[in-house]
Amino acid sequence: MVRGNLVGRLLLPGAGSLAVFGLLVGGGLLYASGGGTARDTLVTQMLVNAVLVIGLQIFIGNTGILSFGHMGFAAVAGYTFALLAIAPRFKERSVPDAPFGLADVQLGIAPAMVIAVAVTLALGLIVGLGLIRSGAKSGAIAATMITLALLFVVYEVARNYPDLTNGRVGLTFGPGNSLSDRTWIYVILFVAILSARLFRETETGRLAQAAREDDLAARAMGVNPTYPQLAALLLSVVVIAVGASLRTHVLGSMTPEFFFFGYTLLTLVMLIVGGRNGVTGAVLGVIVITAGNEFTRYLAGGDVSVPGLNWLLQEGLSDIFLGGAMLLFMILRPEGLLGDWEIDFPLRRLLRRLPLPGGAKRASPVPAAARPDPSRLSASEVTVLFGGFRALDGSSIEARADEIVGLIGPNGAGKTTLLNVVTGIVIPAEGRFSLGERVLTGEQPHVIARAGLARTFQNLRLFPALSVRENVSVAALVAARHRSDRVLPDPDELLVAAGLWEQRDRRARELDYGAARALELARAAAAAPAFLLLDEPTSGLGEAESAAMIDHVRATAAAIGAGVLVIDHDLHFITTICDRIYVLDQGRVIAEGTPAEVQADPAVQVAYLGASG
Amino acid sequence: MTEFVQQFVDGLGRGGIYALLALGLALIFGVMHLVNFAHGETITVPAYVAFGISLAVGGNWWLIVPAVIVAAVLVSVATEFVAFRWVRGSSDFTMLLTSFGVHFVVVAVFVMAVSPKAKNFEKPGWIFNTVRVGGVSFEIVDLVTIGVTLATLVLTVSILRKTLFGIAIRAAAEDFDAARLMGVRSNRVIRSAFALAGFLAGVAAVFWLMRTGEAEPGAGLVPLLKGVIAAIIGGLGSLTGAVLGGFALGLAEVYLRAWLPGNLAGLTEGAVFLLIALLFIVRPQGFVTVRRAERV
Repeated sequence: MVRGNLVGRLLLPGAGSLAVFGLLVGGGLLYASGGGTARDTLVTQMLVNAVLVIGLQIFIGNTGILSFGHMGFAAVAGYTFALLAIAPRFKERSVPDAPFGLADVQLGIAPAMVIAVAVTLALGLIVGLGLIRSGAKSGAIAATMITLALLFVVYEVARNYPDLTNGRVGLTFGPGNSLSDRTWIYVILFVAILSARLFRETETGRLAQAAREDDLAARAMGVNPTYPQLAALLLSVVVIAVGASLRTHVLGSMTPEFFFFGYTLLTLVMLIVGGRNGVTGAVLGVIVITAGNEFTRYLAGGDVSVPGLNWLLQEGLSDIFLGGAMLLFMILRPEGLLGDWEIDFPLRRLLRRLPLPGGAKRASPVPAAARPDPSRLSASEVTVLFGGFRALDGSSIEARADEIVGLIGPNGAGKTTLLNVVTGIVIPAEGRFSLGERVLTGEQPHVIARAGLARTFQNLRLFPALSVRENVSVAALVAARHRSDRVLPDPDELLVAAGLWEQRDRRARELDYGAARALELARAAAAAPAFLLLDEPTSGLGEAESAAMIDHVRATAAAIGAGVLVIDHDLHFITTICDRIYVLDQGRVIAEGTPAEVQADPAVQVAYLGASG
Repeated sequence: MTEFVQQFVDGLGRGGIYALLALGLALIFGVMHLVNFAHGETITVPAYVAFGISLAVGGNWWLIVPAVIVAAVLVSVATEFVAFRWVRGSSDFTMLLTSFGVHFVVVAVFVMAVSPKAKNFEKPGWIFNTVRVGGVSFEIVDLVTIGVTLATLVLTVSILRKTLFGIAIRAAAEDFDAARLMGVRSNRVIRSAFALAGFLAGVAAVFWLMRTGEAEPGAGLVPLLKGVIAAIIGGLGSLTGAVLGGFALGLAEVYLRAWLPGNLAGLTEGAVFLLIALLFIVRPQGFVTVRRAERV
């Protein structure tokens, strides 16, 4: 297991990073060997752009939050670097009145870069806390607007605070200051690729990706997306700051336009064309767009003449190319050329075929190792208001960890609302609920999940782009951190028991419906909960599958020592599986008892059949 | 006090433009959950139309005004037809970047077809004239903007309230799937929403262009950003909120400019964006909350 982790998390991605680096640099050098300083410069710029695009990938790829602000970070880093690294005799002319005595400072490249990173990192932390406060999640518009505002704030300050930035003219290094060889670029590029690739495989990266795929499901599994997102942001800011310093140095100057809309467009297009969710894709995008850009520039350069099309072959063609590429990819292939594919994936598959320890899994049943948890789940007098509608009206239920409790009732009776209340998704107007001694009313979903309540969803909420195994391992990760007082189920064995072992490397979205239901249950079990809360586990399943689900739920609950609270419409399923049943109608509990008692209750018959008296 | 009233009218005048843009953005967001960053093209393209007209027949605003409005409607509908139709129902991420793609392509087209530099055309002669009412002088352009904006808003409200088309749009904005099930034709509703948003933006474009008198490839970007910000302040999807957000933003800008000390006046725009960032941090859902409970 440990060895498998080492290979999977470190060696293979490391080898993959080296391969990606090799392809990028090799391709560049091959092109540059065609001769000419112009080609040399182009290749240098491509490598530097790659560093910045990888910085973007770390944040956007892992969190799914669209950021326009990263070039704002880049501008801050670029100005800091330029102010520190430019010789005083040049600053005397451009920014003689720079505050903090910056006009007289001259640092070497490396220390200037370190300080630029530190300053940008501090800004990144502030912005990151703001993003978190705004409830950033995949696709969140408020988060995107905050980053866009950042880009504009930096731009406006750069233009209108000439004492520091020399306004629109900008800052210039003296002549003869550009890098004579690319050693440093190579080193920085490789480290950037490697850290992005490794971050993707870290636990933190995995949690960020789970939240990217489904924020609510991730929270309900006990993931607090805040820290993974912040970690992704800070790492990406470091890479961006280094890349921006490098670019400033290579270009020999710094103006407000350097890291503004145009460059944001360029880097974003590079990121999405190759595939934003993978490092290999990001780098491929850099190559493709650099080549395409260069080709359009050549076409527009005046050396080419195509009868009838000459109106097209002029300045601006490369902008059409970039904007058009963004548009076409979003419409035709939003996941990019490679999606989240990495160059080391085939290697991993190859390795799996070899009989390594831990490579083959015995199909053993999940051992009944865990002891039953004595705690009770109880909700008392819960009332939920949606506007004027009382979805729940003073309902109370209780469940022990050694029983399976059913929740039935007609549509709109408040069953799912009750489940949403005890998982923290809906805040009740009145009432409280607790697990054992611990009152959980008003807690956040991830806190409740960590306390021991794991749920499934009526309409299936897996992490679609993550593999079957990763879906379960996200929950197991959280359990390892927060539920270590219990015997933790082995995620692989849960997969075997769910009949998913053979499909462990497929993406969750590729599973058929029954398998997806089974995976959601396995994922909830991997969280090592005291209670499994199941919202219509047989919904959409056939008769045979429903029957199999009875045994599967029982076996899983027994194996992890958890109680079960289950909602279902399938009366056969409910009456077979449950020890006790609560019947809800119009937000109230109208009956409670064993399946036989409940079925005999006249009030239940009225609610279900509309029969009176 | 005099100054305060003047600034108030000035702020309402600017805010009216933002409100018209924000209302269109909120309509589009309502029917397809898209924050349309290409909505600014409904100002950029008309700007070049105005430039073209003044080049051909001189700055005749009796001609420019209807042309600008028609152009804005056509642009809005065209962007839906060319781009947004194909990403309907995609992730927010995809739709957002699609609209940016449209913006960048339009910018590039004008860079190539005309010039990367701004082209000027004649502003109407009367706009910076002032009238004095009880010791306070107002710029005519502000008064006209406010008046026309209010009239347009009243017209829009009555369209949305009274006509079948308006009811369909409002229903779709409330719950698109339910509206579809009730027989609202999604293609037509979305197209109509884009057309109406284009019309509102066209009115905004008229006043924006009267003030700036120039056409440049990125002309629509700044008003668009203000419109988006206003729409989000108002709680995206809320039509009333969008209008209030627009006026609030206009007032905030004017008072901020007046309040910042002279040597920092250049930083007004920067300060506005900083405030906006803070606003989204503190209240990401805007000030008019639209209940959009996620079904679980």
